[in-house]
Amino acid sequence: MTAGPASAMPPGEAAPGQAAPGQAAPGQAASGRVHRRLQAPGSAPRAWSPALRLVWLHVASRRVLVALAVIAACAAALRGALYGHWDSYGARQLPLTFEVGAASVIAITTASPFGEAERATGRWLPYLRLGTTLALTAAATGALAAAGTGGHLVGGTVEVLRNVAGLTGVGLLCAFVLSAGLAWTGPTAYLLAGVYALYTDWHPPTLSTPWIWPARPPLDRGAAICAALVFTAGLALITIRGARDSGRD
Amino acid sequence: MTAPTAPAVPRPPHDAVRAKVVPGRLLRLELRRNAMLWMLPVAAVLFWYNGYREIMAVPPMWNLRAMTLQNRLLLDFAIPVVGAAAWMGSREGRRGVADLLGITARPRWARQLTGWAATTCWALLGYLCCVAVVYVLTARQASWGGPLWWPAAVGAVAVPLLSAVGFAAGTLFPSRFTVPLITVAAFFGLAFGTQAASGDHSYWQISPLTAGAFDIGADSGVATFYRYLPDLSIAQVMFAAGLTIAVLAVLGLPAGSGGRWLRGSAAVIAVAGLAAAGTAVGLAGTGRLDPHGMIVIPALHDAASDQPIRYTPVCSHTAIPVCVNPAYATYLPTVTATLGRELGQLAGLPGAPGRVTQAAQAFQQGPGNSINSILHLRPAGGSTEFFLPDPVPGDLGQTSAAFDGQLEATTGLELAASVVGAPARSAGAPAIAGPAQQAVIAALTRIRALRVTVAQNRNPDPLGPFARLLPASGSPAAAAAARFAALPAATQHAWLAAHLAALRAGRISLAQLP
Repeated sequence: MTAGPASAMPPGEAAPGQAAPGQAAPGQAASGRVHRRLQAPGSAPRAWSPALRLVWLHVASRRVLVALAVIAACAAALRGALYGHWDSYGARQLPLTFEVGAASVIAITTASPFGEAERATGRWLPYLRLGTTLALTAAATGALAAAGTGGHLVGGTVEVLRNVAGLTGVGLLCAFVLSAGLAWTGPTAYLLAGVYALYTDWHPPTLSTPWIWPARPPLDRGAAICAALVFTAGLALITIRGARDSGRD
Repeated sequence: MTAPTAPAVPRPPHDAVRAKVVPGRLLRLELRRNAMLWMLPVAAVLFWYNGYREIMAVPPMWNLRAMTLQNRLLLDFAIPVVGAAAWMGSREGRRGVADLLGITARPRWARQLTGWAATTCWALLGYLCCVAVVYVLTARQASWGGPLWWPAAVGAVAVPLLSAVGFAAGTLFPSRFTVPLITVAAFFGLAFGTQAASGDHSYWQISPLTAGAFDIGADSGVATFYRYLPDLSIAQVMFAAGLTIAVLAVLGLPAGSGGRWLRGSAAVIAVAGLAAAGTAVGLAGTGRLDPHGMIVIPALHDAASDQPIRYTPVCSHTAIPVCVNPAYATYLPTVTATLGRELGQLAGLPGAPGRVTQAAQAFQQGPGNSINSILHLRPAGGSTEFFLPDPVPGDLGQTSAAFDGQLEATTGLELAASVVGAPARSAGAPAIAGPAQQAVIAALTRIRALRVTVAQNRNPDPLGPFARLLPASGSPAAAAAARFAALPAATQHAWLAAHLAALRAGRISLAQLP
């Protein structure tokens, strides 16, 4: 009796077109690569729970780790900048610049490398989007607030929370309307508006609309409501529909 | 059968023609498919929101508008231009076609330069349109003078630099995070780079956003009586152009950008660009503030620019004519209305000036970024000089009421004191006034109201050395001033005409005042 081609192969090897244990099948190369990274060098393959593996794959596909590194870099840069001597303009406008950098990065992570096909894969995708965005926003707020601890961070933690949330909302809305690749346009354009509104505190007429929340005091209720509304709207749209897929990206 | 022999037809210069046509065609393609085209509306909105409204809110004087434009417009264009350029630069990497395009006939560097050129063309078009709008409107509104081109030229040379920085970042680091990061970084560098500037010798004034001396900036007194000095602008243009060339040349350095000869040329160009930029920074460090409020760089300075501008002053038809530089013609009615009381009362009195003429203030660099305004007035030929308060209404939030108050507290006070008070012991110092003279001066200038303003502003001595020309609040002299001010204007004038010599000599007591 002759064994079939597959059974004749040594353990751990697979027939052409068949996935080996611990490896991805054709078309699942990215998943397999991610799975291998989870294993400690020299250790035996571990069985990950499907939910955890799904979260990890989503995080990897959105390059969340890189985003976290960039957010950490923004916080470090803010900390370094706070050591400098700034005039009244600079001290108030400085944090906003780094908040915009972090918010833009969060919005860009909504880009999916799989496009339309991913939407048909299951019902967990909205939760994954929601969780990823919330986690990154929390991380950005925490990192920037921590960077200002002990420094002369004008506005303090409350202002950081409000601004990061609102700016992230602007970025998420841009990701929904334009595409994730172009999500940076909203927060960066808003940066100029915010910087100018802060400038008008010294040079009237002062821009006092709460929709330009960076120019309002940290505990201003109207500004907080506007920022929260924008963040909620952006988060809801990204959670439910995801970022717009643009073939031109 | 043999083929008929025909004379060799000279080959048309097809390749030569094609070599010229293809770059133009490539540029046209890049222009049609360029992200900057779609960012132009964003840039226009940002300019309208941030720059245009503020520029048009300042008084219609060419120096104010042009110098504000240099600062505002470039800042407004920084984000769209850097972002669009980085987006275009990262295109090949983002779409994964870098290897595919690597086998085309053109060197990669030439292809990249074409993409940068297209982005820059759109950005410059938008920039120039904004300049045109501001300058056309200013030409319609300004009472005198002509456009200042150097501030606009600095911005026009800085736009390609912004584009080059964004494009190079996108090309060298084609990640999805590159575009926002380089955009924010460029904005940070541009907007906050001037924070380190200190004094007129600062290297940081090379920033293209800096129009004139750092702590004077756009001031109505700068480039009004004297020409706009292009020294700093020339250094800024040199810096921006050199850095642009260096950044673009860096794109030609990596392997695969072209042949060895091409990469060697890129290295030489990069070094030359950096040398030009470094030289410009060094030149900016040699600057000094000239008395007219502009930066002089000795190596770039043309002494012919130091001559005052010739102009025919615009004069009022008051009892004592007030003459101003034609650039300030729109403020002449305000000046005559504010000083009308003093002008009417003092006209015809012995020692009263025959004419009051506006003079240029002088500037002097103080410690750090502080600037001292030097006001040297010199009566000459029956004419007294005066300064208009700075800023003028509409500039830096200055209100008409505050302007009037400052004019009254300086020119009005000095004018009354020069006629009523005793002459100062030294040239340039204010006149000396006794109690009766203080009372008359206060009545003529209505300066008591100003003292209330002084208290509100918590400024202990806003009048400086002129404060001693006024009676202390609540003093007998203040009561006499109120009594004299209540008299009809004709009675005041008649009394002054009869008793001025005695008043100036200090022979009139408070009780003798009507």
